[in-house]
Amino acid sequence: METDGALIERSARGRPDAFVEVVQRHEVAVYGFLARRAGRQAADDLLGEVWARAFAGRAGFDPVHPDARPWLYGIARNVLRAHWRAARAADQLPGRLAEDPWDDVIDRLDSAAAARARELVGAVRALPAEEREVLLLVAWEQLTPAQAAAALGIPQGTARSRLHRARAALRPVLAQTAGEDS
Amino acid sequence: MNEDMTELARLGWVDPPLPGVLDAAREVLWSAVAAEMLATAPPDGTRAPGKAAAGQTAETPISQPRRDDPGA
Repeated sequence: METDGALIERSARGRPDAFVEVVQRHEVAVYGFLARRAGRQAADDLLGEVWARAFAGRAGFDPVHPDARPWLYGIARNVLRAHWRAARAADQLPGRLAEDPWDDVIDRLDSAAAARARELVGAVRALPAEEREVLLLVAWEQLTPAQAAAALGIPQGTARSRLHRARAALRPVLAQTAGEDS
Repeated sequence: MNEDMTELARLGWVDPPLPGVLDAAREVLWSAVAAEMLATAPPDGTRAPGKAAAGQTAETPISQPRRDDPGA
């Protein structure tokens, strides 16, 4: 199977339609990235924008990378930021931190799960934003720390140390919820 | 995935998108693809896809510096 890198390179070399296969491979994952952070309605609205930006910027993708997900998540992150900026400007999110996905997370859970998860959500919410971003790229998008670093445009060592700090901060809460299970 | 990540991953579960959502997003892409193909196609349509015309600069050299912040 042709790698994402090969497809993107081919699409930049006179076969733009080759990019469609990259989109078909990752559209559910990128949709999930958007929906987890901004809700399904926003994801519905923003997915096309991610593809438009990715296609327009495909010459900047290094085809040595076989998996385009970190690059696509980086683009999706920028699309979300623009979306949140516009929402703030339009005052559509009064009294709420616009970049905070956790209200949506809790809303998605049923009452039993929500009761159990609320403490974990609170702990994740309390993390510094840059640590939380790396943590969620690994936990939610199943990226490696190196891929998370690529998505965020930071050095791999920085991503690893942020992930380490985030996991250490969550460990007491996770140990407590695990104890409730037993 | 480690146990702590598994616990956290559960919080990130979302329903898959409806097919119409993916189709609508792909339409945006297809519009851009079609626009580029039309822009680079020769007037007589004789050139095969993927062949660059003489002097065409659509290709991006491999040695071009890469952006650090995708999509910025």
